[in-house]
Amino acid sequence: MRLLLVEDDVMVASGIKLGLTDAGYAVDWVGSGERAEEVLRTESFDAAIIDIGLPAMDGLELTRRLRRPGMASPAMPVLILTARDALHDRVQGLDWGADDYMVKPFELPELLARLRALLRRSQAATTAVLSFGPLELDTAGRRASIRTDDAEQVIDLGPREWTVLEYLLIHAPKPASKDKLLQALTGWDKEITPNAVEVYVSRLRGKLEPHGVALRSIRGFGYRLELHAQ
Amino acid sequence: MTSDLRNRLLVLLVLPLLALALVGVWLDYRSADEAAERHDQRLLRLLPALADSVLAPPIRDSEPPLLLLAPPVEDFLRQHPGYAAYSVRDTSGRLLLGDAWVQAAVPTTQAPEFHSVEYGGVTYRVAVQRGRTGAGELVVALADGSDPRQQWAQQLLLRVLLPNLVLVAAAGLAIHWAVRRAFKPLVDLADAVEHRSPRDLSPIDEAASPAEVRPLVRSLNRLFALVNAQAEGQRRFVADAAHQLRTPLAGLQAQVEAWAMMARASVPAPLSLNFDKKHPPAQGVQAPGAIVLGVEQIEKLRHATRRTSQLAHQLLALSRADARSLDAQPSQRVDLKDLCETLLESFLDAATGKGLDLGLDVQSAHVTGHDWLLRELLSNLVDNAIKYTPAAGVVTIRCGVRHAMGLSRVFLQVEDDGPGVPEAERGRVMQRFYRVPGTVGEGSGLGLAIADEIARVHHAALALGTGAQGRGLVVTVVFPPEPPVVGS
Repeated sequence: MRLLLVEDDVMVASGIKLGLTDAGYAVDWVGSGERAEEVLRTESFDAAIIDIGLPAMDGLELTRRLRRPGMASPAMPVLILTARDALHDRVQGLDWGADDYMVKPFELPELLARLRALLRRSQAATTAVLSFGPLELDTAGRRASIRTDDAEQVIDLGPREWTVLEYLLIHAPKPASKDKLLQALTGWDKEITPNAVEVYVSRLRGKLEPHGVALRSIRGFGYRLELHAQ
Repeated sequence: MTSDLRNRLLVLLVLPLLALALVGVWLDYRSADEAAERHDQRLLRLLPALADSVLAPPIRDSEPPLLLLAPPVEDFLRQHPGYAAYSVRDTSGRLLLGDAWVQAAVPTTQAPEFHSVEYGGVTYRVAVQRGRTGAGELVVALADGSDPRQQWAQQLLLRVLLPNLVLVAAAGLAIHWAVRRAFKPLVDLADAVEHRSPRDLSPIDEAASPAEVRPLVRSLNRLFALVNAQAEGQRRFVADAAHQLRTPLAGLQAQVEAWAMMARASVPAPLSLNFDKKHPPAQGVQAPGAIVLGVEQIEKLRHATRRTSQLAHQLLALSRADARSLDAQPSQRVDLKDLCETLLESFLDAATGKGLDLGLDVQSAHVTGHDWLLRELLSNLVDNAIKYTPAAGVVTIRCGVRHAMGLSRVFLQVEDDGPGVPEAERGRVMQRFYRVPGTVGEGSGLGLAIADEIARVHHAALALGTGAQGRGLVVTVVFPPEPPVVGS
């Protein structure tokens, strides 16, 4: 995965670069919006991390410009970094084409988690495959499988189980609320009860937990996909 | 203030009134005295007429002398029926004519004498004269019961003292009422200043104050403005300082976090929530002069960095929560259920990492306020709960609507089953930088102060309580029934 990091603060940039490189990403770092725009004309990236407070062209302007046609990767997910945390900036950032934002100072593991979620979503849009640990969901072929180093095992899922799992997978590692799962299921049944969600979740558990993928209950809220060490 | 003034005014006004009343009594007495003098003169003038009325000695000894009352005497007697009488006696005091009770010692000379005689409850002025009459030397006496001096003494209470007392009492009441009315604006002003919170230094409406106190209001407002400017300067300094700290802190934290990640990756992790495939640790070439830090040291460094970052963030939040800095920002409708769910998501990893059961118990609830401030409030409460609750504990975020006494009040609540806060400490934990003695774990002592400040800005009440099982801490924020527009 190739990432573009646009950040003028050397300390922040080198820290992020170090962390991302360690996590296995290829990181290209530029210090200004103008330079980033130049690079983006010719080179493509899987995602960009952009600081909002850049010296001349700010991060929001850069985000707007990189979405223009003619750019190498206009559809890539953009994560905005900001030292300002007023609501106004957040909303504006998302309006201008950013996919997520983080307020400085931030914790690196959270940045990685958000980045992973962004990448997974953008990947699913292009390759139609959602993955989470050993679990893979081919949304085009509607095929769920567990991939291990030496083998691939297909998991047989009913249509409603598929809907629940797909929803959980798209949102992982964030938890999904029962209400939202219920809404996702109403496409199948007009009159579905909250209990039905529990039924499908418990069925999914039976199928996935032997492979180290857990559907953890979040009290009063919903469920979250988690990986369990085997 | 007003009662003191009222008393002074009462004394100052009632004393002259009393003096006036006394002068009135004295003048009244003087006029009664003059009237009495005139009465005496009249009796004196009438005495010779009465003597002249005795025309001739009696025909027989046993009969009274012949009397034909002179017209002035007859007029006098007719004018005061019941209060006027006469008597005619011989020089030995034997009654010849008239009423027996009109008597006095027989005068030794021909000069008229005056006496007071009590008869039938009335004090009479009796004038007595010894003189020659048609029947020889006799003693004639006239009694007049309409003596103004006597009547004055009787009527003193009713006629003079009572009206004056009524007047004084009325004056007292009038003063009481007038002072209260006249000083109402001043009392209102004092009340308004008294009931202000130390943070509310908005100017008092000068136009609404009476002209007399306007200079005072102006001075107060000037003082408020000065204090405001100073507080605002201080607030801005804290905000700027915290804000300026964030960028270098972000750099520091990014560096340390990266080291920590690398360090952890270089040692085998027993259980990891890392969703990525394992990567070989990035082994840098040891540069000359480089030092090697152990995983534990790097973790400590990271811990300290995170705390510093959080402190900077909290200071910024606290300075922003200040009511005065919110004036420019519009408040909006905030979905508390949504807020609780968002915070559950962001704290889930921290709670899971500590082995806590973080859960929700939420009903639909909305308040009018500042979204990011309420997020900050709840985030501080949840952060505290997670920080202070030991492993295997339960933390629950709640929101909903409470119905009590016909009022619906929206609430936000965080409950944990940790050590709780002793009742004696509950008032103090809201203070900035205060931490309960003996508290373990990290923390700046700002979390509850921030939550309290934000609650206050929203006109909500933040209260600490004991958990359902008799242990743990419950922090409840109850919003006013009709949330007013914040900052107005």
